[in-house]
Amino acid sequence: MKHTNKAKQGAPALDTLAKRSNVPVELQQKANAFLNATQVDTKVLGGIVKLFAEEGYAHQVGLMHTIEVIFKNLLKRQSVYPADEELTKPGKKSKAKAKAKLKKTLDTDPNAKCFALYNKTWSWLLQRLAGTNKEDANVALKVAMQLIVTEAKHIKHNNGNWPKKHLSSILGALIESETSPALALPAFEKYARCLDVLQLSYELLPQLTPASFVETPQQALNYLGIVNTLDLGKTVLAEQQYHMAGSFDLADTQKLLNIVWQGIIDRCSGVDEQVHRQVLVVLLERILPHLENPILLTDFLMDSLHQFDGPIALLALQGIFSLMQKQNITYPDVYKKLYNMFYPRMFYNKYKARLFYLADIFLTSTHLPENLVAAFAKRMSRLALRSPTEDAIILIRFVCNLLLRHTGLKRLICATAAASAVEIADPFDDTELDPVKTGAINSSLWEMVLLQKHAVPEVANAARFVSKSLPLMEFDLGQLLEMKESDIFDDEVKKVSKQFMLAYERPKNFALPKNDVVTQYFDLI
Amino acid sequence: MGFKTKKSNADAVYSKKSVKSSNPFDSATAQNAKRVNPFDVHVNKEKFKILGRICKHDRGMPGVSRAKALQKRTQTLGKQYAVKDKSNKFVDHRIGKHLSGDQLTESVMNARFLSEKLSQIRASNKAEKFNLNDDELLTHRGQTLEEIEQYRDERSDDEDEENDRLDAEFTSAAHFGGDGDKPQDRQTAIEEMISEQKRRKNEIAKDKDEVYDLTEKLDANYKQLLGLVNTATEDEQREKPPPDAYDKLLKEMIFEPRGSVTDKLIKPEELAKQEAARLEKLENERLRRMKADGEEQETNVQVPHRSADDLDDGYFVAGEEDDDDTLAYDLEGNLGTHLSQKKQADENGADDTEDDDDDEGEEEEEEEESDSEVDNMSDLKVSESESEDEQAAAPQANKPKAKTPKAQPVASMDTSIPFTIKMPKTYEDFTQLLSKYTATQQATVVERIIKCNDPKLDGVNREHVVKLFAFLLQYIKDMFEDASEQDIVSHFQLVSLLMPHLYDLSHLNPERMSNTLLDVLKEKYGDYRKNQKVYPSLETLIYFKIVSNLYSTSDFHHPVATPTYIFMQHILSRARVRTRQDIAMGLFIVSIALEFGASSKRLLPGVFNFLQGVVHMAIPKKQGQDQLEIVPPFERDGPFSKLLAISASKTSKALPTQQMQAADLVTHTITEEFKVRALDTALRLIKHCMEQLVGEHVGAGCLATPFLALFERLSLEPYAEHVHQHYAEAKEALERLATQKMKPLAPPDRKPKALRLLEPRFEVVYDDKRRPKMSKQKEERAKLLHKIKREKKGAIREIRRDTAFVQDLKLKQQLESDKERHEKVKRIYQEASMQQGELNELARAKKRKKF
Repeated sequence: MKHTNKAKQGAPALDTLAKRSNVPVELQQKANAFLNATQVDTKVLGGIVKLFAEEGYAHQVGLMHTIEVIFKNLLKRQSVYPADEELTKPGKKSKAKAKAKLKKTLDTDPNAKCFALYNKTWSWLLQRLAGTNKEDANVALKVAMQLIVTEAKHIKHNNGNWPKKHLSSILGALIESETSPALALPAFEKYARCLDVLQLSYELLPQLTPASFVETPQQALNYLGIVNTLDLGKTVLAEQQYHMAGSFDLADTQKLLNIVWQGIIDRCSGVDEQVHRQVLVVLLERILPHLENPILLTDFLMDSLHQFDGPIALLALQGIFSLMQKQNITYPDVYKKLYNMFYPRMFYNKYKARLFYLADIFLTSTHLPENLVAAFAKRMSRLALRSPTEDAIILIRFVCNLLLRHTGLKRLICATAAASAVEIADPFDDTELDPVKTGAINSSLWEMVLLQKHAVPEVANAARFVSKSLPLMEFDLGQLLEMKESDIFDDEVKKVSKQFMLAYERPKNFALPKNDVVTQYFDLI
Repeated sequence: MGFKTKKSNADAVYSKKSVKSSNPFDSATAQNAKRVNPFDVHVNKEKFKILGRICKHDRGMPGVSRAKALQKRTQTLGKQYAVKDKSNKFVDHRIGKHLSGDQLTESVMNARFLSEKLSQIRASNKAEKFNLNDDELLTHRGQTLEEIEQYRDERSDDEDEENDRLDAEFTSAAHFGGDGDKPQDRQTAIEEMISEQKRRKNEIAKDKDEVYDLTEKLDANYKQLLGLVNTATEDEQREKPPPDAYDKLLKEMIFEPRGSVTDKLIKPEELAKQEAARLEKLENERLRRMKADGEEQETNVQVPHRSADDLDDGYFVAGEEDDDDTLAYDLEGNLGTHLSQKKQADENGADDTEDDDDDEGEEEEEEEESDSEVDNMSDLKVSESESEDEQAAAPQANKPKAKTPKAQPVASMDTSIPFTIKMPKTYEDFTQLLSKYTATQQATVVERIIKCNDPKLDGVNREHVVKLFAFLLQYIKDMFEDASEQDIVSHFQLVSLLMPHLYDLSHLNPERMSNTLLDVLKEKYGDYRKNQKVYPSLETLIYFKIVSNLYSTSDFHHPVATPTYIFMQHILSRARVRTRQDIAMGLFIVSIALEFGASSKRLLPGVFNFLQGVVHMAIPKKQGQDQLEIVPPFERDGPFSKLLAISASKTSKALPTQQMQAADLVTHTITEEFKVRALDTALRLIKHCMEQLVGEHVGAGCLATPFLALFERLSLEPYAEHVHQHYAEAKEALERLATQKMKPLAPPDRKPKALRLLEPRFEVVYDDKRRPKMSKQKEERAKLLHKIKREKKGAIREIRRDTAFVQDLKLKQQLESDKERHEKVKRIYQEASMQQGELNELARAKKRKKF
């Protein structure tokens, strides 16, 4: 931007802005007049800022945009910060002092007045940021970040550095937001992709950690939410985005991240389920790849695996999986837990696809004991008998894969001639919690034979592998995991078939001519 | 060497001998075969006889072949030479000008004739346009047909030719001198002979004329005689002797019917037989469809020993056949075989035929057979009555059923309905039309619309019936969409009346109708998908029932039934159960699913989950007790987990047995009666499932065990006696399945693999020709080159001969012209010398005068 005519600078910007965000006309005029005046009229500015406080003011978004333009201009004109350096020096100690001084100089220096108004504006913005209106929160965050940029550029004492104070206050506002997750969080995620913001945030976060996760779960969740947005992944690093020109040091940031995680884990004992789950999510998605010593997590993960059911256990399982991959830990109990995660209710959980995926990976190893895998195969085929259609297909394919991986399991479907001559009751114990003790290896997959009688032809065909030969290749479960029940219906309907076979016995009334079931149990007519 | 040749000679002799001895007529030539002049034959002497070499040129006929070649040349080259340097040409434009000899068939000649005629007509068309009498004269061998007619003699002329020859008497007399009595001179003898011959001819001609006249007369009189002849023969017939056995048999054989009547009036029993056969065929087809491809190959089936050499050609060893009934479920669900039943019937029939051998016996046998078929059907009927026996626990159901068929004929007699009803154009018209009538009349109206719009009557009706089907579906939807407790029963009655008509409609155009129904189902599924947790509206269930009634739901894969199955499974596994309506609808769907699988025995997991849920809801849950495992959509605890639980009271104990009511499908509040009713129905359905649906399946135990855990917690105290009974029955069935013992799975015995049969490898024939070994391509090429060389040689030779021939022709011409010239010169010389002679003579005379 050129600084030839400062006064007229703001007006066109405001015009374009007005079009975008419905800035009311009178406000626009007011702002234009204010900006076009050579002297800063603090009263007008005060009037505009005061609008924030009005409860019923409808155009909050427009107002914020206007404020943004005004203060950007003022910052460029160097008419916000008082000349006195001391007043504005950041620092906790001098804050009170500075405020006192500020009041004194209010009357004399218009800049000082402006500064007061500026601070006031900031506090309002932060309030909006943590508020319950999504649009407001987003716009407030945007305005705040823009102001930070302008301030860093044009205010001398910043020397082009980040005004950390403001960012810290933004983070603080996000943490203390009324809702969880904070509404502005998705907007913040955009900024979090900028490497400088990333580094600074990690730098600031340890100081902002809520004192106790147990007492203030709301804040804890928000805090974790912020950490979750700070992605140190490869794509982000590769993009090389910066909010402002700045430097980024990955090693430093990783160190900072470790400090943040330390802060989290210290407060993690005895937290409620939701927070615990969030911790695990953050851990798996953001923290784990960058931890210095991930082996320390083992206990934490195992505890969460054993103490909780459902999603938390699953997340822990995933964590353990990555530890197994990278750190070579072994923990045999995992399989027992995994085994017990397969129960009829699982089909109605959201994370069942993830469970299938993980189980598939866990059971990939060919070095697992056969009786363990047999128990899995047996349990899965049992479950297929009670599951919705799409899961039945997945389970059958899964069992098929297991049989392919572990050739010893063929005895489940190919008993020796001597064994197949004797009739036995199923030796598999359904209620046993330990998969090794279920006796599944002595059993046989009768469930598959039963599944061949499934009403849906896809399932029946899938189960046919028992009587035919096993396929040569393993099935790829990935595609199946995405399938929904309704997809099966759609696929079925799409099959173009002209063979509409009709019944050959004419019904004389509501009932079928023979084998009618409905009228046996219903007295309808 | 000498020894060798001797031996080979001996061999040759021996072989000649042996050939001769085998057939003495071998060397004999046929009488009519062309004999070859031995001087024409030229034999190429062969120095050595080489085995395996076929020699074509061992003998030839140079004269003949040369003559042939010459002839060919004169016809081709000679002709060309003749017309050489000549501009005029004779062009043959006739049809088939290239054909000759045998190729000129009748049709070609006819075509030639026709075209010739046409061209003639074209030429004379203008002149003879108005000439009506232009009948062309047809000729045969140059004579007009008319002329031939004129001279035609009725009398056949073959006789006189025969007698043209000299007879024996004459020849003996004339040729061999005769009896020498009258020594006559030759002259008189010949004259006598000629006169004698003439006289004889005359006599014969006269005789013939006489005979001809007489036959003419006879023919004229014959017609008058005819009347007399007829009467006489009749009399004679009467006097005929009584026919003997042979005659009888002959007559029988003559008059025996040779073909069967094509459209005989069919007897009712035959009709029944046909119907039974049709049903059996359809049933077999259905069974085939029911099985997935390759499903027969089940595990654990003991296959009899099969050899590797078994060709699988369906050949059975005699002993095996008896046991070879393929196991199949009959309609009732009993294990049995069609084969065995048939065989029984056959045996019955066989017994009967042994008993009586008369002609009537055949008829009886037929009847017997048809009886056995009827038996088959009655078997089915028995099964129905059996299933009714099962219903007997609830006798109320049968009464209203019995009423409806009675009401129907009355309605069809109703004269207030017009007999022909036009197909309404819009749905509004249709509803308006129906709204005028009562339920039974509505059914009649629909029936008449179908009758009037049968696609066989008019092509447009094809659209009409489809539309009618769609209207009916819409009508059903409108009926059930907001049915209330009061009118639900009447709605069901109406649907019940419409059902046969829906069936008829669907048979008129299965594809279109099914697509219509499928579209409706798709739409319903789309609606349901928007909110999976809520049961769909009642009409969806009615559509399910329609699918069940109209389609062959036992198919392994069916374009309508399979999506319906999936839909039902989806509802049962996802929709929350909270109200009386939900429970009733769930049970309704469960029973439809059982109906679908009644003969195919296919199972839907949702059915079992739902029944478990219903039982679970009937268990009163106390605080502190551990929760029972139950699958969503049912809840483990909370108010909805004990919807059907009741506390003991006198009223509940005194409740009579009851089926589910139509009203249950529309009301929300749960009454005590309903609780008992629902549990009771669930128990009976469990028994039904366990016994009829999965009873025969291997591994059904794992379906039964979850039920048993629930059954243990179900306290029966507050329930009436019939619930106790049903509980006990269901539990018994469950326990039986749970303790079922099974054989571990083993793949079926595969047919042993036969050893690979190898083609025998033959050595290449050894021909002792030492050629360089070449690749196949090269060899081929060499062969071709050789052929070309030979052909070239041949061609050169031919050309040489051609030139020789032409030279010959030229020479001949030259010689001829020379000869001609010589003669001319000679003549000229002659004339000249004569002239000279005369001149000389004149000159000499002059000289003489001088002297």
